[in-house]
Amino acid sequence: MNLLININSLVVLDPFALFFLTVILLISFPALVYSLGYLQPKYSGAKLLTTQLTTVAFILSMALLVIVGNALVFLIVWELMTLLSYLLILTDSESDAAVNAASLYIIMTHCGTAFLTAAIFLIYRHSGSFDLPAMAAACQTMSPLLRNTLFFFFLIGFGTKAGVVPLHLWLPYAHPQAPSHISSLMSGVMIKTALYGLIRFVFLVLGISSLWWGITVLTLGIISALIGIIYALMDKQLKRLLAYSSVENIGLILLGIGLAMILTRLNLPGLAALALTAALYHLLNHAVFKGLLFLCAGSVQKGTGTLNLEKLGGLIKTMPWTAGFFLVGAMGISALPPLNGFVSEWLLLQALFTGGQSVPGLPALYLALAAAAIALTGGLTAACFVKAFGITFLALPRSQEAAEAREAPRTMIFGMAFLAAAVVCLGLLGPTVFNVLATVAGSICRAAPPPAAFLSSDLTICFVLALGSGLAIGHFSNGQKVRVGRTWACGYYETGSRNEYTATAFSKPFRIAFSFFLLPFRKTEKVKDSFYHVKSFVYETYTTKIFKEYLYDAGLGLVLRGARFFKRAQAGSIHLYLSYILATLVLLALLVRAF
Amino acid sequence: MAWLLLFAILLITTETALVSRFPALLRNFRYQSLCLALLTLLAAEREASPELYVIAGLLFGLKVLLIPHLFDVLIKRIGASEQVGLFLNTQVSLLLAGALGLLAWAFAGALIAAPAYLTQATLGIACYITLTGILLMVTRVKALAQVIGLLLTENGVFLAATIIPGGMPFFVEIALFFDILVSVMIFGLFIYRINAIFTHIDVSKLAGLKG
Repeated sequence: MNLLININSLVVLDPFALFFLTVILLISFPALVYSLGYLQPKYSGAKLLTTQLTTVAFILSMALLVIVGNALVFLIVWELMTLLSYLLILTDSESDAAVNAASLYIIMTHCGTAFLTAAIFLIYRHSGSFDLPAMAAACQTMSPLLRNTLFFFFLIGFGTKAGVVPLHLWLPYAHPQAPSHISSLMSGVMIKTALYGLIRFVFLVLGISSLWWGITVLTLGIISALIGIIYALMDKQLKRLLAYSSVENIGLILLGIGLAMILTRLNLPGLAALALTAALYHLLNHAVFKGLLFLCAGSVQKGTGTLNLEKLGGLIKTMPWTAGFFLVGAMGISALPPLNGFVSEWLLLQALFTGGQSVPGLPALYLALAAAAIALTGGLTAACFVKAFGITFLALPRSQEAAEAREAPRTMIFGMAFLAAAVVCLGLLGPTVFNVLATVAGSICRAAPPPAAFLSSDLTICFVLALGSGLAIGHFSNGQKVRVGRTWACGYYETGSRNEYTATAFSKPFRIAFSFFLLPFRKTEKVKDSFYHVKSFVYETYTTKIFKEYLYDAGLGLVLRGARFFKRAQAGSIHLYLSYILATLVLLALLVRAF
Repeated sequence: MAWLLLFAILLITTETALVSRFPALLRNFRYQSLCLALLTLLAAEREASPELYVIAGLLFGLKVLLIPHLFDVLIKRIGASEQVGLFLNTQVSLLLAGALGLLAWAFAGALIAAPAYLTQATLGIACYITLTGILLMVTRVKALAQVIGLLLTENGVFLAATIIPGGMPFFVEIALFFDILVSVMIFGLFIYRINAIFTHIDVSKLAGLKG
């Protein structure tokens, strides 16, 4: 009797699973504390209770997902996680936007799950067991065609959940609609579980059998990183900006994973382990700072009631804590030393360069290009978060709501403070964390953990130096005298929020630089009193979402046109329907000769 | 004797393509059901099976007496015209029925091996009844014709079931009879309601109802 679920191998607690479990719990704890204050006045009673219980169940489902050792149970938990997150996106069920976003999310991830199910059952046909080791053994004897198919199925299935371009469509809709601590969990952890699945099933079950698998993943990583950050730079809704930034970071992590796959295939397990360490480090970092940034965004939303950057501004005076934590998160994600983003991107570049030196010919060139892409992404990320922080928190408020903002309650500040501390610690304790992650990556790549030499310089010294010099400059420069004067406003009588840079204006140079991809267009309209007097002038600028318009809308149009064509058969006449039955019967009777 | 009854069924079925009034159509159905009941009685005698006697009795009671009677009442109650309403005239209907008969015969020939002529004929005629029943539903305008067409189709299926060695399980047969009875009652009710609301039972005019 072949058991579908073997109790003995139901739970796998290898280093890789433990690493993910840690990440999940690390983000979940502050998010839960944060939610105590966040949900409080808006929801109460039964709604509050169900939301909190669903959140806990969601966290448990993610935790369970990373420790199961049985593919069938994995699928079940995967679906459970999807459904629970769907419910959580729908928390604000009265808004149409939330319902639409949730529907898009559930449809897209279900399509992804269909691919996963197909892949897992295809392996099951060969292995006869859902235990991961047995499946791994069965994969070694498969035909190359089948393995390639399986790889694609896993890539599409997990890629949909992770938000890899062009399967990222649901992400910028679903993340802004969920309550902020849920966005923090979804963006920080849930989309990472897809990467967990990808590594688990492609590295450990399927085994990397072709070089182009790695190249595909690497290329998708580069594309996701660049496109994600360009869209983030264009967006003026804070949480959607963060969601696009998640696409970018998933791209960076995928880049590391792809590099590890290439190096594994080229028989360089040590370097592959380094690349994977970098990827895992960035995964951890992104979970922490993106979690933090979403919590801060939630705090801004709660304090002002809006997330539209054009209506924010000046919040640093009314919400100093939130502003400080957002700054830490923004610096982390922009990879400024000594914070955590710097360590992982540094490692990623190290892995690319060392890899580029060790592999011959064209792949080396390709890795160099990937390094250039990371550099470009890093620059754009910095610009994006200068915009996000500057427009939201600095200068004068752009609206009444922003002027009347209130700081978040204590529980929410605690949640943000916890993650901000983690951002700093993961940067300063780089070598220690590196060693732990190197063990994890080594166990996956079946290699000795890469030496800590790749991270020799101690960031603590750097931090102390930076802090010290900053304090010193502050002390010597404006310690004595502060002069208060009017800002010169180019001759205008007074400066107000209308004089400030807007988010759209800030990103305009990038809109022009990437116009080949963003396809911006504008609408201008003059409102005239008479022929001679223009009363007001309307100027609107848009960018074209090419994936939505040329890929998804085109596909949808095809389906709808097909449906309209077949709708003609449904004329509403009972006689016509009956004649279909007759025609079918006659056809079957005729076909009996053929078979 | 079986051959005679089968031939009678064949004739009656062919005649349904020709009739254009409800009482005639109903009479056709009644005679066809009577032949079926007799066939079943023959089989019951041959196999000495008490269950088949019960089935023959039920067939007689339901399809020869009760259901036609219900329809008689319904036709009188509605007081509508007795015309069935033809999409295709009787000559073309007859030609089509003939074509379906040939098809049914070829179909039975393809399924049943050569020496079992009686089985082949039974299956062929069963298919013929089924197809003609549907043809009736397609080419006749008024709702009652659709219901009677469905009942004819069911007769065909019943006849086809008799050639399965041992027949269908007893309970399935009984359940089928009750299904038919219930559906006739529901159809009758519907037709009555349709007539009450729209003052006609012309199915072709119902297309305007679609959403």
